[in-house]
Amino acid sequence: MNYLLRKEEIEKAFLEISKDFETFGATEKEGEVIFDHVHNFDEISDKRSRYAPKEFLIQRNENVLSLEKTDRRAVFGIKSCDLKGFYIMDKQILGKDPFYTEKRNNTLFANFVCNEPCEGGFCSSFGGPVLDEYDLQILRDGDQYHVMVSEKYEGYFKSYRQEDGSAFAKFKDEFDAKTVHLPVEGLEKRMKWNSSLWKDFASMCISCGACNFSCPTCYCFDLYDEGEERKREWDSCILTGFTSSSAGNIRKNLDERLRQRFYHKFTYYKKAKDVYLCTGCNRCVEDCPVGIDIKEVITHDYSGE
Amino acid sequence: MAIVTVLTVCPYCGTGCQIVINSLGAGERVVGYSRSPVNEGKLCIKGYSGLSYNFSNERLKNPLVKRNGEFTTVTWEDAIREASRGLKDIIRKYGPDSVAFQSSAKCTNEENYLMQKIARMVGTNNIDHCARSCHSPTALGLITTLGAGAATGSIKSLEHARTFFIIGSNTTEQHPIIGSKIVSERKKGKNLIVADPRKTQLAEIATIHLQFRPGTDIALLNSIMFVILKEHLEDRKFIEERTQGFDEFEKEVEKYAPEVTENITGIRPEDVREVAMIVAKEKPASILYAMGITQHIHGTENVMAVSNLALLTGNLGVSGSGIFPLRGQNNVQGSSDMGALAEWYPGYIPVGSPKVKMLEELWQRKLPDKKGLTLSEMFDAAEEGRVKAIYLMGENPLVTESAVSDVEKAIDNLELFIVQDIFMTLTAGAADIVFPASTSLEKEGTFTNTERRIQKVNKVYDSPGTAKPDWWILNEMGKEVAGMKNYESPEEIFEEIRKAIPSYSGASYENIYPEGKQWPINASHPDGTEILHETSFPIGRGKFIPVSYGDPAESVDEKYNFIMTTGRNYYHWHSGTMSRRTDILERESPEAYVEINTDDARELGIRNFQSVTIESRHGSIKTKARITDKIPSKVIFVPFHFEESRVNRLVGKQLDPLSKMPEFKVVAVRLLV
Repeated sequence: MNYLLRKEEIEKAFLEISKDFETFGATEKEGEVIFDHVHNFDEISDKRSRYAPKEFLIQRNENVLSLEKTDRRAVFGIKSCDLKGFYIMDKQILGKDPFYTEKRNNTLFANFVCNEPCEGGFCSSFGGPVLDEYDLQILRDGDQYHVMVSEKYEGYFKSYRQEDGSAFAKFKDEFDAKTVHLPVEGLEKRMKWNSSLWKDFASMCISCGACNFSCPTCYCFDLYDEGEERKREWDSCILTGFTSSSAGNIRKNLDERLRQRFYHKFTYYKKAKDVYLCTGCNRCVEDCPVGIDIKEVITHDYSGE
Repeated sequence: MAIVTVLTVCPYCGTGCQIVINSLGAGERVVGYSRSPVNEGKLCIKGYSGLSYNFSNERLKNPLVKRNGEFTTVTWEDAIREASRGLKDIIRKYGPDSVAFQSSAKCTNEENYLMQKIARMVGTNNIDHCARSCHSPTALGLITTLGAGAATGSIKSLEHARTFFIIGSNTTEQHPIIGSKIVSERKKGKNLIVADPRKTQLAEIATIHLQFRPGTDIALLNSIMFVILKEHLEDRKFIEERTQGFDEFEKEVEKYAPEVTENITGIRPEDVREVAMIVAKEKPASILYAMGITQHIHGTENVMAVSNLALLTGNLGVSGSGIFPLRGQNNVQGSSDMGALAEWYPGYIPVGSPKVKMLEELWQRKLPDKKGLTLSEMFDAAEEGRVKAIYLMGENPLVTESAVSDVEKAIDNLELFIVQDIFMTLTAGAADIVFPASTSLEKEGTFTNTERRIQKVNKVYDSPGTAKPDWWILNEMGKEVAGMKNYESPEEIFEEIRKAIPSYSGASYENIYPEGKQWPINASHPDGTEILHETSFPIGRGKFIPVSYGDPAESVDEKYNFIMTTGRNYYHWHSGTMSRRTDILERESPEAYVEINTDDARELGIRNFQSVTIESRHGSIKTKARITDKIPSKVIFVPFHFEESRVNRLVGKQLDPLSKMPEFKVVAVRLLV
């Protein structure tokens, strides 16, 4: 259902939700937008956070010998591109990864729809900032807020003014007109195994893992034992130890591992789950120290090679 | 659940990347600080995945004292009492030069300042630290030629270079964020010259890779300068207005025609010529170097040769030009600035100079005027019984020092050995008393990075058990051993540093946060100094110092027919105390190895991953072969991270007579299958 709330109304709704959930929001510190506890709707930053807040569902490092019950949490101010990452990885790990699933089921995300396209972002190529799936989807419109509410959380909004979805639809068209659309359609058929791109990227890549760690759709982890604990930690498919067997990594060279990353994103996942493993957030480009640009993988002229 | 968000500095290399840690409990989230002028939001794998050592179960949690060969947990009160009494007794009995202090470039400026202050206040200059084994030739070399032993520009200024000349630095692995900058600039079409015996990642994308023989740096650099002079490409104006000693230097370089040096370096004259053209013509050029230059018995002269090249081509004082000694440890610039060195007081005041008077007034104590023992000399003295006690903070010489077998004997011979660390290292295991310390994520202070940027270090986590910040421990020890005043906080120590070191005088905890400030920062440079030597050098004119090529200490013969060089790899840090306790880093590089050239391996019948024995004239180790084309024939590379296969058993004790740097980069060895 869609609602239109005034500022004081959304503040009230926020406080209602805060009674039932431990509440987090995007806030600014030393010029970086990070996630922290918030107590008022007013505290939440409109700006895009420095990183996709993956750790709310997949901790960077966690014990996996026992599954702890998670308190209910609400995360306000996550951007649509970052939230969409969870909906995409749901297809692979929801219900299968008990740690993710426990947190996923107990976490409410209130995504803020970007009013303006961000520099470098290409979310419109993957559907844009107005998502089809959401818990609470919030679009600021001056002093008013258009809110799309999923059935699960309808109770918090019953008393507010309902509206139809035309505000979101209109906004979506306007946003779309302002942004670049990359030719993602059919990419899985265009990508080329022997493309020169992979070696080009490999000559620059310093194996820092930033592309994986920054990506809202990357969910791979490494398992290891420490003392009496078994833990898992975010992993990077760029590293040689990733999925290595006793004979080592089957992708011995960096260009092969980089290719695997992009094939996973744009070919394998698409074929298996009918969705690209990318939301157009541009975070991997921003965090890459050598400027490897995933957009090149999309726009590259493979047939010309 | 508590959330902490803290902006601090990565604890690994001298780049000094600023990190934002946003922690939900122990599940920390690390990102690069996007406003940082150092790393602009970028990090390498050590920044992202290297911090979990902090939560390792193996952290030292309580003070330990060895009784009948076994460590027993004691209170801090007892540990400090026992340690300070022990030191005082030895000083009383044998005099202050019977004790030695080893500080740490992993620790903060405040802590290094305290450590050297304790040493000097008890009356000895026996204070040193691992800068000895990394950039002591830089300090001495560049202070002699330019007047300041530090990088002349900023990391950001590299963007303004048209040419990069990199010698003896595997930059993308050892200073990855600086390396990534070079990669990006190279992709924009900048010139890149890499002089390195190994085919590093930068060598692969270089305009020219000079794959010269280890230890022949001076022959190579002089031959490049020979061509520059012959072709009249030197910067005449710069030489006349800003330098001295040119004539003598020119006379020396005349002996190094590339046709002559080819026999020494293995580099073809046409390559030398091409490099000379690029460096002299494509200005500004930034010259970057690291351990490949310094870890030689000619380390200081190597640095001077690099300096000569910069002076000859006028590549100093302008953004995009300059000399960049890439600092290894996170705070090796700072620990050196603080004077944790046997021959220098804080601010590089030479021991024995009349300027020490200023510090005597500040500390209210008559200070020793005799040069102290350097790192390896301390162990020699211990072996000979001249040094009876060592107080060591955050170093692991039983893995990292050259000729480690002798270090073992030296430590055995001590009456008292005190070690302060975050883990039970091999070295801590040999101690009589062990102080458990906080990591840099658990304390406050400052680090100074490779571009002279003084940066604020902030506390993210609580320490485990009763572990304490190093400054707290030193403060307690200082009061007991040296009658030092009490410091309430790192900031109080920093305020004293500002008084002791003029180039730090304008810095404060307030103005260096969040982005840091580059020294000198003082009344005339209130915002710090990005580019050094813009109009003049601290010593007036830059000095050409003629340096002549001499062979490395060890050379190959029929028996020891390979040259071994040692160093780090991308994933590990020095003795591995931290990096080997983080999951991802240890997984990437879990065991000791030796890189062997493909042809050599074929000839010797060595398969990949096969176990081989490496023997030098000093010892032997067993390790695993890694066969690669990235290393030239007859040269092998062994990283020094692995305590189970310590390569420093193979490295001899030959020291650079000027800086006392051991020659880690040229060791004659043979391979036994």
